[in-house]
Amino acid sequence: MDYADRGKLRIVYGDVTIGVHGEDFHLIFSYQTGGLESMVKSGKEWLYRTPKPTFWRATTDNDRGNGFPFRSGMWLAADMFQKCVDVQVQIDGIRIEKPIAPVNNKYSDKETAERVEIVFTYETLTVPSTQVKVSYLVFSDGNVRVRAHYYGKEGLPELPAFGMRFIMPTEADGFVYEGLSGETYPDRKAGGVHGIYEVEGLPVTPYLVPQECGMHVDTEWVKVKRSKVLDNRKRHMEQSELTFRAGNEISHSKFAFSCLPYTSEELENATHQEELPLARRTVLCIYGAVRGVGGIDSWGSDVEEEYRIPGNRDIEVEFTM
Amino acid sequence: MKADIRWLDDPQVFRVNRLDAHSDHKFYENKEDYEKKEQRLKQSLNGIWKFRYSENAMERPADFYQKWFQCRSFDEMKVPQHIELAGYDKIHYINTMYPWEGHIYRRPAETGKEKGKGMFSQAEYNPVGSYIRKFDLQDGLKGKRIILSFEGVEQAFYVWVNGEFVGYAEDSFTVSEFDITSYVKEKDNLLAVEVHKRSTAAFLEDQDFFRFFGIFRDVNLYGIPAVHIEDLWIRPIYHPEDGKAEIELDIRLSQKKKEKNIRGKIKVSLKDNAAETKTVLLDETENLDDPAIQTNLPVEGSVNNVLHFRYELKKTVNAWSNTDPYLYELLIEVQNEKDETVEVVPYPIGFRKIELKDGKMLLNGKRLIINGVNRHEWNARSGRCITEADEKWDIECIRRNHINAVRTCHYPDHISWYYRCDQAGIYLMAETNLETHGSWQKMGATEPSWNVPGNIECWRACTLDRAVSNFETFKNHTSVLFWSLGNESYAGNVLREMNQYYKEKDPDRLVHYEGVCHNRSYEDVISDMESQMYTSPENVKEYLENNPKKSFLLCEYMHDMGNSLGGMESYIRLLDQYDNYQGGFIWDYMDQALWVKDEVTGREVLRYGGDFDDRPSDYEFSGNGILFADRTEKPAMQEVRHYYGLRR
Repeated sequence: MDYADRGKLRIVYGDVTIGVHGEDFHLIFSYQTGGLESMVKSGKEWLYRTPKPTFWRATTDNDRGNGFPFRSGMWLAADMFQKCVDVQVQIDGIRIEKPIAPVNNKYSDKETAERVEIVFTYETLTVPSTQVKVSYLVFSDGNVRVRAHYYGKEGLPELPAFGMRFIMPTEADGFVYEGLSGETYPDRKAGGVHGIYEVEGLPVTPYLVPQECGMHVDTEWVKVKRSKVLDNRKRHMEQSELTFRAGNEISHSKFAFSCLPYTSEELENATHQEELPLARRTVLCIYGAVRGVGGIDSWGSDVEEEYRIPGNRDIEVEFTM
Repeated sequence: MKADIRWLDDPQVFRVNRLDAHSDHKFYENKEDYEKKEQRLKQSLNGIWKFRYSENAMERPADFYQKWFQCRSFDEMKVPQHIELAGYDKIHYINTMYPWEGHIYRRPAETGKEKGKGMFSQAEYNPVGSYIRKFDLQDGLKGKRIILSFEGVEQAFYVWVNGEFVGYAEDSFTVSEFDITSYVKEKDNLLAVEVHKRSTAAFLEDQDFFRFFGIFRDVNLYGIPAVHIEDLWIRPIYHPEDGKAEIELDIRLSQKKKEKNIRGKIKVSLKDNAAETKTVLLDETENLDDPAIQTNLPVEGSVNNVLHFRYELKKTVNAWSNTDPYLYELLIEVQNEKDETVEVVPYPIGFRKIELKDGKMLLNGKRLIINGVNRHEWNARSGRCITEADEKWDIECIRRNHINAVRTCHYPDHISWYYRCDQAGIYLMAETNLETHGSWQKMGATEPSWNVPGNIECWRACTLDRAVSNFETFKNHTSVLFWSLGNESYAGNVLREMNQYYKEKDPDRLVHYEGVCHNRSYEDVISDMESQMYTSPENVKEYLENNPKKSFLLCEYMHDMGNSLGGMESYIRLLDQYDNYQGGFIWDYMDQALWVKDEVTGREVLRYGGDFDDRPSDYEFSGNGILFADRTEKPAMQEVRHYYGLRR
């Protein structure tokens, strides 16, 4: 690859997308799909569809028992259907005019930058509506810092969760993370022991009725390992990894994540494990907030108050890929 | 006497010729058998029986017990097994609603216009299992008095031997025994058992579980030695302040009819088998010729007389507890006048003291903290017909996760379970087979306009008998700290009497019952502790801060349905804040689901309520375990292990 200046990002100001390329990594942000459409590392595509904010973790038996889905059901629709209403581009810290055609005619095939930030604004279909801003800040070393910010609004019901959902084209071989042992939730993590854990495959906890599962709260990083690809030239590639690290270079916050072969909607839809589709993707959700599971009873008692997520408060999650 | 099908409809007929319940001790004819643990006086009748299924009593082969009856058209059935899991009759899961909800209108006898006539015996749908088995007596049993024992038959059954009617029993979860000596021969005996799915007992057995019927626990014959310890009540009395102990012993002897009165000796010893030297703590001989004893001996097969002995142990003993389940072996040997051993009875016993003091429950003088779990007997392949391997797995799982107590919800378990808990130091809340929530709890609301047993005379004897069976069978188990009257059966005079029965029989243990919190007028006469279920931590606090009458226990809490068990910390904190909060039993041990071959993929999958076209159902409410139905631990278990490990 011919770089005008090694160590800098090569920028492709496309008509529909903006490409950001570096040594052994390639990102394509799309104005059309409203987000990061492609992320290639060592020749392997890591995205199946554009990552979007996520608002829904599948309901648990306890949620259903206390009527939570009826109170907060609009977040399910908000999770499934979203609208990207604005895209902003900053090159080396300076905001530029959105470089779609014909604005992009002024650029060449030799554009570079040290830092590129693309910010997508999403509108929710909730009533009232609110916004989520997702910013991708790409550094020349290939690190991408993602920051997703939910703007709380009075009148919105409690959320089941808030974070970013990444769907990868094929089922991962497994993942490694540093955080707490086992499946943990904000109100069920005292038994979790801090450590580095390797998980083989993408296990779905076999609750009788498929429901929210596989959460890992208080995580510092998670590394997803994949071999299978959809590339018609070769269906298998050497295993490679993609790491998501909590916080940024200054603040080391923690996130919650789950890495499953299903979306929360797929889990929500099944009444038995055997009704879940064949596992063919990797659904990695990085959460800034997750509702607890509760446990007082399964027919009315809500999750304890401190483990609920009010709709009127801002939530932010930040991590580096 | 002849069997009468109308007994199914009458709550006042619940046992006919069924023997009185007694201690679950093992017995051997001589020391050699005892040392080899070879129960030669016991003969298992488990195995393949002949079987016929009928949809109702009218269609059943009523003459099937006759010697002339040709059973060539009968199928084969494994015993023990639930009939539904053998492919007959529909599998059905339902929680509080009675299983006939929406299908048949029923009210228990004497609660309204209903007198119960024909309610079960004439019902269009009330399946019947007709079982036939042939047997010869094993050598060890020949020439002896023969007892036929059923450890669990759901829900009402009639028994015939060689064409003669033997007896009838209800109460699915306790042992039913019949003396068949006068009907039995050495060879070619014909045993016929007719099991009815529902009877009046159904009103008392409305547990939240899969509703099955059939012979689902072991069937045995016992040969009774010429002189036999029918019943044994060992009361180890422990003084935690100085480690001293006494043993009180009640022995009820029987002898074979028409033999002269018993002469000989009873030898009582207590050994510490854990000590290297097998220390002997007690070695006494009681001479039956003693005139004081002679007057208390049974004559001509009567079994109503009790011998009472009391021993003070000279040495101090090691207390039994969850952290150190120290057991001793009590051995009773009966000898005849020629000093020949005629019977040997061993029993493992521990020394511990459970008491209420200053409004707190203490064990061995220290505050008792219950890190408990409710346990239904379950196996995803065989339902409540569980194996020794299941029990062993459960004990290990319970110990590993720092659980120290089990409530046998909501019926007595297999006898072996109580022995295992003695050994493993697991505190048992031994629950009576009683649950009538469908009679007073409607869609979560308390609505006792018709409730059994309540104050109704015709429901009194059958309910009390369940307490008697529970107490008499398990009274010698060190692990049993509490007797529980049953689950969710509201409160009334019958429950009060049941409470009284346990207190009078066994003042050394505590009595538990939750239902009284729905009917406070019985608060002072039922239950030694305030027991509630699923109360929020705030409401537990509220009770404990307002002049509580009793110490507080949650007999069910942390409902672990699906992905649950969040917020346990709030309950654990209560233990620090209130001395008279004693902990609780998580609901519950394992998911109830069944392995089924998926009709689409052919794979084996777990199915729950409603998956068998069974309606109405409470669906996935059958799965609330900290274990999945295949006995693997749910992720929530690490939370249980953590919190229960804090105070052991």
